[in-house]
Amino acid sequence: MRRLRLSTISFLNTRPITYGIERGLLGQAGKDRFELSFDLPSRCAAAVASGEADLGLMPMASYAASATDLRIVPGIAIASRGPVRTVMLMGEMPREEMTSVVLDEASRTSQLLVQILLRERGLAPTFARAEHDRVVDCIGGQRGGLVIGDLCFAAARRFPFVYDLGAEWTERVGLPFVYAGWVGRPDVLASGDVALLQESLRLGLANLPEIARVWAGQSGEAAALGESYLRENIHYQLGARELCGAAAFLERAHGAGLLPRKPVLRLFENEVRPRAARVSAARSLDSLLAEAADGERLAFEDGQRLYESASLYDLGRAADARRRSLHPRGVVTYIIDRNVNYTNACTTACQFCNFYRPPGDARIHTLTREELGQKLQETVDLGGIQVLLQGGVNPALGLDYFEELFRWMKANFPIAIHGLSPEEVRFLAEREGLTIASVLERLIAAGLDSVPGGGAEILDDEIRRCISPNKCSVATWLEVMRQAHRLGLRTTATMVFGFGEKSDHLIGHLDKLRALQDETAGFTAFICWSFQAEGTKLPLRDDTTATRYLRTLALARLYLDNFPNVQVSWVTMGPAVGQTGLRFGGNDFGSAMIEENVVAQAGAVFKLSAADIEGYVRAAGFTPRRRNMRYEWL
Amino acid sequence: MSLSAIASKVREGAPLSHADGLALYQHPNLMEVGALANDVRERLHGDRTYFNRNLHINPTNVCVAACKLCSFSRRGADADGAFVLDVDQAVDKLRARLAAGDRVTEVHIVGGLHDGLPFDYFTRLLSSLKATAPGISLKAFSAVEIFFFHRLYGMSIEDILRRLQAAGLDSLPGGGAEILSSRVRKAICPNKCGADEWLAVHQIAHRLGIKSNCTMLFGTVETLEERVDHLLLLRAQQAESAGFMAFIPLPFHPENNALGDRPAPTAAEILRTVAVSRLLLHNVPHIKAYWVSLGLATAQTALWFGADDFDGTVSEEKIYHQAGSLSPQALASGEIARLVCAAGRVPVERDTLYRNVAQASGGAI
Repeated sequence: MRRLRLSTISFLNTRPITYGIERGLLGQAGKDRFELSFDLPSRCAAAVASGEADLGLMPMASYAASATDLRIVPGIAIASRGPVRTVMLMGEMPREEMTSVVLDEASRTSQLLVQILLRERGLAPTFARAEHDRVVDCIGGQRGGLVIGDLCFAAARRFPFVYDLGAEWTERVGLPFVYAGWVGRPDVLASGDVALLQESLRLGLANLPEIARVWAGQSGEAAALGESYLRENIHYQLGARELCGAAAFLERAHGAGLLPRKPVLRLFENEVRPRAARVSAARSLDSLLAEAADGERLAFEDGQRLYESASLYDLGRAADARRRSLHPRGVVTYIIDRNVNYTNACTTACQFCNFYRPPGDARIHTLTREELGQKLQETVDLGGIQVLLQGGVNPALGLDYFEELFRWMKANFPIAIHGLSPEEVRFLAEREGLTIASVLERLIAAGLDSVPGGGAEILDDEIRRCISPNKCSVATWLEVMRQAHRLGLRTTATMVFGFGEKSDHLIGHLDKLRALQDETAGFTAFICWSFQAEGTKLPLRDDTTATRYLRTLALARLYLDNFPNVQVSWVTMGPAVGQTGLRFGGNDFGSAMIEENVVAQAGAVFKLSAADIEGYVRAAGFTPRRRNMRYEWL
Repeated sequence: MSLSAIASKVREGAPLSHADGLALYQHPNLMEVGALANDVRERLHGDRTYFNRNLHINPTNVCVAACKLCSFSRRGADADGAFVLDVDQAVDKLRARLAAGDRVTEVHIVGGLHDGLPFDYFTRLLSSLKATAPGISLKAFSAVEIFFFHRLYGMSIEDILRRLQAAGLDSLPGGGAEILSSRVRKAICPNKCGADEWLAVHQIAHRLGIKSNCTMLFGTVETLEERVDHLLLLRAQQAESAGFMAFIPLPFHPENNALGDRPAPTAAEILRTVAVSRLLLHNVPHIKAYWVSLGLATAQTALWFGADDFDGTVSEEKIYHQAGSLSPQALASGEIARLVCAAGRVPVERDTLYRNVAQASGGAI
């Protein structure tokens, strides 16, 4: 096999990523496979673009600006979740008094970041560029400077005004900031490469003291400084939150006219080895709970054990601790959107649904443009930023209908389209004789922004045959989500319980979601609720009370260790249970819904305004923040 | 005071201070406070969760008190919607339940402060109910009503209680305590008896062997300090007369009353108050999650935040429903048992004095 040429950066924070490769610790396979060269970040991007390198540790902005179709290696990034310490605006004056800022040429990403953050503060200094080594010398008087990399440690001691841009980004947006990742053309990786690259990082993370010691010897800084920087400031995981943070950054840059293309983040599609869980029968419930609260992966059997045997309170407490470590700022988010059902015609005839009308029924209605336009205008007027658009699976509506509809919506309303659950996408693929991916590509081109996670019910074919025999299989539901994630869409995932399913069905559902998330990191949130039986064809034969919901919610928070957000479902469970859910693992209050039809037809009658939601969130001791579908604070 | 210091006091069974009470209210992590309360609940009662089969009778909604917090009362006998049940009507309600095969063990009677009824109406009401079902327990007339009778009929509190007891009274409900603070009472229920008087009625009742409950209406104008003061007043009374069986926290419901511009306490605040009351009232045996007021979901959850009692089957509740409560007006005993089982607790049917009637089965759900 040909050797893979890697172009990397010679900063302290890149060393853990290349550690295993540099030290030859990946066995013969690694030695034969990788060839490493060191560059400045911007040159690293050029090397990939020109084909001199196969993979580059590339700044996100260079990735987005590249004319070539590129992919990102899953799971690995250089990111921060707060202060980063090596991307700083510095000066002799406060930033409000800086009339010009000198930008380090070495990283386009940092350049965009400082421009966006200053602009969002209403500041408009002029910008000039300087070589990496010269920036610090240019700073003086009213001229500030963007300093990046290891130079920051010394420079931060020289200037009275120092602003950490990683910290400011996360304070403002509520998401991590991603500086760089491994990037290359779609076909450069072979089977096993992702695993080797991840192993190189794993070895690096296991040897941070040594990396810091070597760096200290070269730079004259203290090893302790380097180690704390690598441990506390830099995060190497490229998970769902990082992908959302990167997308939020690139879109803000695009919105500010700093990036020519609307960027899409796409990962290499090579197989990713799922994170393994520690399996041991000997652990007590208490120690299982404590480990899960610390973010350790639960094995299937252990999830089942917790669900069946842990007390409601213990589950809740562990889930609350896990929620706190994932969302330490005490913020609970919500979105203002509208649930629009474009049609009630549906061929799937699910037993639990009270909304649909079968084809031929006199009460079938598909919204007209006028009706839809009025709903969208009301949504915008009420501060809504998104519409959740779902059917019915109406055989009368083809792909062109949706393409036209989405284009019309985008042309007339400033609104994001969170639309078409997997069953609807599958149906379009079948109707048009296209692959799922090409249906999604065409919908994306027409304006689709994200996919809702509905129609999952319980991801178990046995259960689905009983309650929704005509709906897509488990494999298809997952495949639609996989394809959507690969095309750069974010989606949610849902679960409806209370159909008489057993704990292995429930945990099985969570397990399938977790495995796909390991692969794509494309789910932003998980939402569950209990089956609403009133008026449907299914009898209520299961426990759907508040405590079952809270138990399920808490377990999901613990089991779905790679899901950044868990929504509470006040629409179905009521505001009191929704609010209590914020102490049982939930960190998001869902949507201030202007309209909801489906569960309303089955007896759920709750309605809350944004002010109501903020009241519940505050009363529970949290700070409410509005968000978009990426969970970016607005 | 840190939570761990409070926790060690709780473990030793030492009474908590006023400062402890405030710290529990203000602690940022509800789940930690709830965990302490749940420990106490489980130490006292294990998984047992009590409920009874009861019937609510409101003899009248005519009331001279005109409390701002109330959505139930009517100012005069001629007011729109005003009613007075005659004794036969009240007895018929009980008969109807018994005839339907319902093994009711308790009648809960509270009403407005009607100044046009003879005292004899109340004794006849009790004796007729008792004659209809001799084994039934009559939990009747809050301390506010007892004090009103004392004033209206010119008899001592003790005489009033003795006469009612002779007519069949078994225990007193805990209502009308609201917040035992003259500042708060002036603001929300200026014409109700004062805090001292409320406590005096219970003290005398306990001395006469009449057990009672106690309550706290929270979420109107009171401060957290006043809530803690209230709980400590109840605890001090209990230390002296030991007749309280259960404490019942009652979140304010804002619809159809004169205080309606304020939001009702939310689930998080309700669960917090349940937990704090379990921890402060170490000498009161039971904490009740009164589902009518809390709502089914929060009442169910409260069974893990210190509460060990779900109240009863109730039919037919009027006072909270007039104030906007969305809970059902009655629950079948099987339904209560199902909710308790679903919450992971063991339902136990009790009588008024918390003697087991039966270990209920939640059935397969």
